[in-house]
Amino acid sequence: MNSALLQGSLQGYILVALLLFVIGLATVLIRRSLLVQFMGIELMLNAANVALLAFARYRGGDVQGTVFYLFIIAVAACEAAVGLALVVALYRHRHTTDSDSADALRR
Amino acid sequence: MNLTPDQVSAIMALLIPGAAACLLPLAAIDKDQATQKWIRAAMFFIALFALMGCFFYVTSLWGKGAQPSFGPVRFDRLAQFATIFILITAALAVLQLWDHLHLEGWVKGETLSLLMFSVTGMILFCSSSNLMVLFLGLELLSIPLYALTGTLRQNHEALEGGVKYFITGAVASSCFLMGAVLLYGMTGTLDAAVMASIMPRLGSDPVMLIGVALLLLGFLFKVSAVPFHQWTPDVYEAAPHPISGFMSVATKGAALFALIRIFPAALLRQEGILQGKVQAALILVAVLSLILGNLTALTQTNVKRMLAYSSISHAGYLILGLVAGTSQAFIGMGFYLVSYLAMNMGAFGLLTALGLAGDRTGYDDLRGMGWKRPELGFAAILCMFSLAGIPPTGGFYGKYMIFRELVAQGHVSLAVLGVLASLVSVAYYLRVVVALFLEKPLGATAGTDKPHRVASLASGTVLVCGLLVMLIGIFPSLLSSAFAQRAVQESLNLLK
Repeated sequence: MNSALLQGSLQGYILVALLLFVIGLATVLIRRSLLVQFMGIELMLNAANVALLAFARYRGGDVQGTVFYLFIIAVAACEAAVGLALVVALYRHRHTTDSDSADALRR
Repeated sequence: MNLTPDQVSAIMALLIPGAAACLLPLAAIDKDQATQKWIRAAMFFIALFALMGCFFYVTSLWGKGAQPSFGPVRFDRLAQFATIFILITAALAVLQLWDHLHLEGWVKGETLSLLMFSVTGMILFCSSSNLMVLFLGLELLSIPLYALTGTLRQNHEALEGGVKYFITGAVASSCFLMGAVLLYGMTGTLDAAVMASIMPRLGSDPVMLIGVALLLLGFLFKVSAVPFHQWTPDVYEAAPHPISGFMSVATKGAALFALIRIFPAALLRQEGILQGKVQAALILVAVLSLILGNLTALTQTNVKRMLAYSSISHAGYLILGLVAGTSQAFIGMGFYLVSYLAMNMGAFGLLTALGLAGDRTGYDDLRGMGWKRPELGFAAILCMFSLAGIPPTGGFYGKYMIFRELVAQGHVSLAVLGVLASLVSVAYYLRVVVALFLEKPLGATAGTDKPHRVASLASGTVLVCGLLVMLIGIFPSLLSSAFAQRAVQESLNLLK
């Protein structure tokens, strides 16, 4: 089974990546909890990672693609730090992470 | 790794604001909220000093022309032009922040540090055609902006705006990234300039189309064009006024300069599937931005929300320049962006200069203010006329250059729509002028009007902006031929 996964075709990986991307996007659009929306964003970023590594391997282990992947991991961590800080600070004021209640600016 | 002097000079403009951004938190280490006045002054001085140093460095490079590239970072005249543009915006924002943060009673060094990181990201974003560097620049410019929006963290509206910007912005960045990855997969290169030569051979692959669409979405989000504009009014209202001005001017500028760099090579000169589609998408986006931005701005009662919708409509005018797609149109866009810098920083600075902190930013709060501070009122009139595109101000010539190219390229109906849109916009810009000069202050506020802090630095920036708008309007050829033309033509030649 393991070898079958590793020998998978490029199309399979890209399909999985696009599927993950769409699931992430749907999570952000449909779910109403800020934390779950946040997970959706992480899913979108990592879908790009899967596609990137599949492409890099398909191109014979292209260094550019592999290095890009490392950068994306670091950037996702920075984004998580700032995003979580904002969500926590908002929670301290509102005592909820429901994004439907964040409507003070739409008068 | 040994760096040659050439390589150092190519990335020096990135290192100076980056180093200042790392240095500022050291000055901001502070247990209680009341930082000593000299520490506050030192923090603002460090930020301004770094911006000025970087400015003088880049202007000295301008005479020498394009620098040898450092890996994928290419510091040519377009990048230098964009860097000068971003640095001036940031310097104006820092000066206004001094007054604004004192008005709000929340002076923290993190704000400046985040601003400098964002400046670094913008410079990086404008100086490469490599999609990996573009992604890093995009994230480095937007992540600090999420935090900057919520910088006044004692009030929950600011944080709400920050969270909204974060969620939407992160989705847009992810889309940009996915687009970049798909294009990389199809072409095997991350450089948009090299990609352009490979793309015609691939024919009409749907994955290619998805990639280009996602990539474009990332840019259009940063420009705040319809239909990726929903965040704009909320975020501009939530952020401190100088930060809103910085976001509207510098982010839009950085995204458009980056688009000018990669757009003609990678997206426009394509045979087959892409040629018509990208242009059709841009026409749709521009038309929607013009109509929706202008009409919604008419109904606003809050000046900051009005300016947010006006920034959406200005995105529409600028994208019309991309639709025309000639080098003359790109020069027009550069020119338009510089006058937009002066008039929009003036408009947002006016709110700070009049001491309207917090949520006191309705039209009613402006009533009669023009007579109290006539010099500010006059500068505000110039900025508003320029935003509306009334000659002889800078905004008029910017629109004129873009519309002229549109007509020359056969898009007469688009040019007519643009002119009509700017006629509509006169109504809501003049409403600010009317409130400033022709309406009496409301009785209640006049009675309790406490002697507010004189925001001298912010007032100074507004006057400078008013002067700049006038100068650009009177001597348009100086800016367009001496600077914008050289910037655009040189970098476009590099891509050919």
